[in-house]
Amino acid sequence: MFKAKLLLVCFNLTSFQLCAYVVKKILLTLLFVFSFTNTFSNNETLDTIAGKTFELIDQKIPQQYKKTAFDSISIVESQNLSELIQQHSSVFIKDYGPSSLSSISFRGTGASHTQVQWNGVLLNSPMNGQIDFSLYPTIFFNQAELHHGAASLLDRNGALGGSVLLKNSQNFESKNTAFIKQSVGSFGAYKTELSTSFIQNKWLFETQLFYYTAKNDFEFKNISKKGTPIEQQKNAEMSQYGIQQGIYRQLKNGSFGGRIWLFDSDRNLAPTITKDSANENQKDQSFRALLEYKQLRNKLSFTVTSGLIKDVLIYEDMSAKIYSKSNSYLVDNLINTTYYINNKINIINNLNIRFETAESGGYSTIKERTQGSWMTGATFHFGRVQLNVFNRFIALNDVFNPLAPSVGGKIQLLKKEQLYLKANAGINYHYPTLNDLYWNPGGNNSLEPEKAQMIEAGFSFTKNIGTTELSLDAVGFYNYVSNWIIWLPTEFNYWSPTNLKEVENKGFEATFGLKTTFGKLTVKHNANYAYTASTNIKTNNELDNSIDKQLIYVPFHKLNYTLSIGYKKTSLYYNYSYTGLRFISTDNNWYLPANFIHNASISQQIKLKKIMLTASFKANNLLNQDYQAMAYRAMPGRHFLFSISLGL
Amino acid sequence: MKKHFLYILCLILLFRCKKEEIGPQCLNCDETPISNTSSTDVLIINEGTFGWSNASIALYNKSNNNVNQNVFKNANNVTSLGDVAQSFLQINDKGYIVVNNSNKIEVVKMNDFKSVTTITGFNSPRYMLKINNSKAYVTDLYSNSVQIVNLNSNTISGNIAVQGWTEQLVLHNDTAYVCDMTNNNILIINTLTDVLVDSIKVGISPNSLVLDKNNQLWVLCSGGFNKENARLIQINPSNRDIIQTFTFSNINHSPGSLIINGSKDNLYFINNSIYQMSITGNSLPSTPIVTNSGNLFYGLGIDPTNNDIYVADAIDYVQNGVVFRYSASGSLIHQFTAGIIPGSFWFIE
Repeated sequence: MFKAKLLLVCFNLTSFQLCAYVVKKILLTLLFVFSFTNTFSNNETLDTIAGKTFELIDQKIPQQYKKTAFDSISIVESQNLSELIQQHSSVFIKDYGPSSLSSISFRGTGASHTQVQWNGVLLNSPMNGQIDFSLYPTIFFNQAELHHGAASLLDRNGALGGSVLLKNSQNFESKNTAFIKQSVGSFGAYKTELSTSFIQNKWLFETQLFYYTAKNDFEFKNISKKGTPIEQQKNAEMSQYGIQQGIYRQLKNGSFGGRIWLFDSDRNLAPTITKDSANENQKDQSFRALLEYKQLRNKLSFTVTSGLIKDVLIYEDMSAKIYSKSNSYLVDNLINTTYYINNKINIINNLNIRFETAESGGYSTIKERTQGSWMTGATFHFGRVQLNVFNRFIALNDVFNPLAPSVGGKIQLLKKEQLYLKANAGINYHYPTLNDLYWNPGGNNSLEPEKAQMIEAGFSFTKNIGTTELSLDAVGFYNYVSNWIIWLPTEFNYWSPTNLKEVENKGFEATFGLKTTFGKLTVKHNANYAYTASTNIKTNNELDNSIDKQLIYVPFHKLNYTLSIGYKKTSLYYNYSYTGLRFISTDNNWYLPANFIHNASISQQIKLKKIMLTASFKANNLLNQDYQAMAYRAMPGRHFLFSISLGL
Repeated sequence: MKKHFLYILCLILLFRCKKEEIGPQCLNCDETPISNTSSTDVLIINEGTFGWSNASIALYNKSNNNVNQNVFKNANNVTSLGDVAQSFLQINDKGYIVVNNSNKIEVVKMNDFKSVTTITGFNSPRYMLKINNSKAYVTDLYSNSVQIVNLNSNTISGNIAVQGWTEQLVLHNDTAYVCDMTNNNILIINTLTDVLVDSIKVGISPNSLVLDKNNQLWVLCSGGFNKENARLIQINPSNRDIIQTFTFSNINHSPGSLIINGSKDNLYFINNSIYQMSITGNSLPSTPIVTNSGNLFYGLGIDPTNNDIYVADAIDYVQNGVVFRYSASGSLIHQFTAGIIPGSFWFIE
């Protein structure tokens, strides 16, 4: 039972060192001639490892890299990917408010410098390179993690800040399940979620359905008007629905299957609070499909994935009589292999071929391009030292880039303690988007790729004392981004991108986790903190006051803390998110003050024969903080969500 | 358990103690309201970044070089003027700030910038023209109409239907001449009847126009994005004939901000650099009066009293811009920091 699960997990494209570790176990149990005792340097037995299945699943990259693995409670408690990252990691989300856009800034980098993968398939728009994180309901994935800085070098080229990995894991050994949840919330929010999983004759069928609608007509104090009148948010109605269907077949030492994700969002875009009327509407329609084949043969494991993504974006402004529609398609193919030479050395080879095409009123013709990359390297385990060396070769249309390396390592400091020192370095490239190249007017087809050179070092410590598990992780980073693409006005009265900007990102990230069990009571603390200093260091205008100033919308400090308490069938959850001051003008003359948001929920499970009924009540912005996440964008005060779910 | 709750309580209290600030705050701003404007003051209308609601008005005193930022905000104790301050018009003792993307016109007292009222109900207002003491016209980007504003009640009293984007406008006798950016016309509106009576075909994108001392209209057409060469066109309003057309030689060039001096005999415009041309000139000027050495000039103003040239560099459009003041002959007198995207100037009468 456990084996199959591990096997599948293992074949994921980035689980190098861990996979080696896990596969060794499988190989052993499959009676391959292998000695693995050295690898478990803490002398844990198989049984105790097996008891921590989920922790193993979460560890996809070598431990020397910084990552944030979201636990299942956080995923379930969050409305969408935007909220999940904002409340449960140190990464900053630019949230324009309910129903509006939500983009990301990872380690001080721009929105297109974070890449989002869905089971390996890269979802970023070929047009602007970005992702709207409000369009990813959490029911559509069961695992999510962030790869910070150098870790993302192993995922793809292009993630100068980090990457976000969404996964749907399959468990062929589990029971058939069905789950339905209905939620009702403030400001006309209704949400219906349905999830089923059904296994027969080694076939697994799983379905998730999602429907969400909200008026978002919350009240706010309009600070931009004389006397700061209380006003109601205008033009923020939204609805989203989606379905995801997966079908998988279990094979001997592998699996084959695929999934389809259909998603439709229709939302009015709320105006800034200085605007009295708005008629903007945006529709996003996505079709995503992928096929996966995972297999272990002798010492070789491989995953073959092929994804097809179609995204349609329709923007309308009735008052300006603007209607624009853009279509983008991409085909993303991956072959990821790991060859386990012995218990000390694993060879990794990942091949990716990606085809992108888009049509838009902003382009003179349909634009397309093909990108290929091959990453090759190895991981080494020598006693208390682990090392890895990789290089990525990139080809884009007819341009070849032979050097995008990543090296990393960790060392266990004390023989009996899980205390590691770790360090990584690498170079990554982000290629200009189709908009950067071809937007008419302004597109610049002579742009160079943006280049990030990064180093990071830190430590991690985990310890179990009785029923208490402690984990600490801290890393300092330096990331120098050159050829950063910036759109600036030109002498021809339109804007055009150039490789002008150079940015230095320096910072520090720390994670703290503490889980204690006292009989039927479980108390879990989790905290994330990041300090990020991102400064622009290059300009072509001597009057430019942005030199050596913090980039806009990069908070120096971000902190969040989550407490979850479970007692028998009752659970309490509390989340605190602090986002520090961030500048909103490049000369750092204007800023948005820090905000600190408290959220809490309580839920009760009731067992009715075979059915588990769960009722939960959640209060967001518990202290009714009046704040702006983005300048002059209204945010809701205290609001509630009540849910009832039935699970089988 | 108890321990945890106490812990949370501490955390909450810790962050509640801070002074409450909501929305954008200025780090280095003088927040004292201005006392009294004078005829030696120049207003700089800072558009602000589109969608960011950071428009502002700065006040520059040309005799002592003193600059007051955020004049509207400070006088009225609000956080922001709004989104995109497109243009300004003084009518007697009142100032009218056209705030494009906040769909409004802020009416202020000229002496202290205290708010009189806010005229609302616009779609995307651009420029305002006084027709008489009780009536003004306001052009609009999207509404397919020119709005008629009653200056006594400060309300929109009607509109004149047009097709598309109307931009700058001037008055001559009982006729308003309006740039029609969509159809590349100068629209002719009878201001007694508020009726669109005729139009004159000009070049692509007529973005600005002025009236000279001989009552001749000068229209600057940018030519669009590489669609055709830009043109400067002279029109005789009495018979609506095009008198002469000057064509710019480089199709990439996109001139704008046509302005006339106080004695109405010299034209100025931005074409990367700043150019000056006499109304009697027989060709476009070949050498600029102010060269853009590394700057990208955005807003232009000519002091009607002494022909001093005011020009702004918006830098990256997300920080305070810089204003250069040159003498009539083009030598730099002073430079100072204004607000975000300084787009136009008003010389207080």
